[in-house]
Amino acid sequence: MSDKHSKDEHGHRPPAPMVDEVSDFEVLEMAVRELAIEKGLFSAEDHRRWTEYVHTLGPLPAARLVAKAWLDPEYKKLAVTDGVKASLDVGVDWINSPPTNFGTPSDYCNLRVLEDTPKVKHVVVCTLCSCYPRPILGQSPEWYRTPNYRRRLVRWPRQVLAEFGLQLPPDVDIRVADSNQKTRYIVLPVRPAGTEGWTEDQLAEIVTRDCLIGVAVPKPGVTANAKRPVHPAVHPVQHGH
Amino acid sequence: MSTSKHDRAHHAKKATGKGDPQCFRGEAGPPKFRVGDRVRIKDLPDIFYTRCQVYTRGALGTVAALVYESPAAEDEAWDNTDKPEWFYSVRFQQKELWPDYPDLYANDSVETEFSERWLEKA
Repeated sequence: MSDKHSKDEHGHRPPAPMVDEVSDFEVLEMAVRELAIEKGLFSAEDHRRWTEYVHTLGPLPAARLVAKAWLDPEYKKLAVTDGVKASLDVGVDWINSPPTNFGTPSDYCNLRVLEDTPKVKHVVVCTLCSCYPRPILGQSPEWYRTPNYRRRLVRWPRQVLAEFGLQLPPDVDIRVADSNQKTRYIVLPVRPAGTEGWTEDQLAEIVTRDCLIGVAVPKPGVTANAKRPVHPAVHPVQHGH
Repeated sequence: MSTSKHDRAHHAKKATGKGDPQCFRGEAGPPKFRVGDRVRIKDLPDIFYTRCQVYTRGALGTVAALVYESPAAEDEAWDNTDKPEWFYSVRFQQKELWPDYPDLYANDSVETEFSERWLEKA
C-alpha cells in the first residue's frame, strides 16, 4: 500500500474505527449467556466472578511442576502417570476449583504430561477448536487459537516450529499431541545444559508458556516468550457475502 | 423421549467433586483393544457432531494408551450419557497420514484420542 492512498487529503491517516468489529461467536456467547441468566442457570454476578477468576490463571503452576519434576525423579514419575494428582502439589486442583466448586475452567479434568527426551520432542495443538489446559496454563495465546496454527501443526510440524525459531535436527522425532477429546496436555521439556545446581525457583523461571506448549525449549537466561510479529492479512476476509 | 422433565444439569451434578471423565470410570465394560494393537480409524457418518478429525479417517495407527471411559462426543453433544465407551490414545506415523511427508523424518508422529466406536482391528 502506498502512502498516497492511506492518507487523506490533509496528509493525515484516517482515524481508526471507534469500535472493533464484534465476531459472530461473541454475539452468540452474549446471547447464550443472557438466556442462561434469564433462565436462572447462573446469575450475572456468578458470571462476573467466574470470568475474573479465570483471568487470574497463568502458566506459573505448570512451570513449577516442570521444575519440580527436573529435581525430583519420584515427582516426575507421578507427573507423567497422574498429571491431575501432580498438579495438586503446585496448587492446582482440577476437580474442585474455586470460586464456585463447580467444574473447572477446562471443563475436563484429564491432564497428561508429555515427557520429552533428547530424541523425542512433543508439541501440543487442538485441531478441533483450541482445547488448552487452562487450569494450569491460564488463557491460551491468540496464535494457539488460529486456524493457521491448528491446521498446519499436524501437517507440517517442522516448518511451524521453525517459524517459532525452533529448528530440530532429523534425529529428533516430533510427536504432535492433538487434544481434541477430554485429555489436556502440557510438555515436560528436557532440562537444558547449564542449569546444574539450580534451585527450583531458578528452573521454574526458564520454563515459559511456549516451552509448556512445546513450541520452544527452555534456555538458561531466557525467561520470556519470544516476541511474535503480527502481520495484517494479505487478502483480508470480505464480509457481506 | 418419554420423560417430559429432563434434568439438564444431570451431567454437571454427576461430575461435581469427581471430575469429567473420572465420573464415568467403570461404566464402559471391558475394553476391546489393548496397548500395542494396530487399529484402523473408521469413516463413520458424522452429520451432526463429531470430534473424530477427517485427517485420521481410514488411517492405520497403534494404540498407545487406554485413557479413560466417557460417553462418545457424538452422544454427549446431545446430552446422551447412557453408554460410556473406552477412549484410546492412538499414535500415527506422519507418513501414514500424509503420504508426501518427507522420508527423512519418518519417525515423526501424531497422537490423538478416539472413542471405541471409531476403531477397528487392522
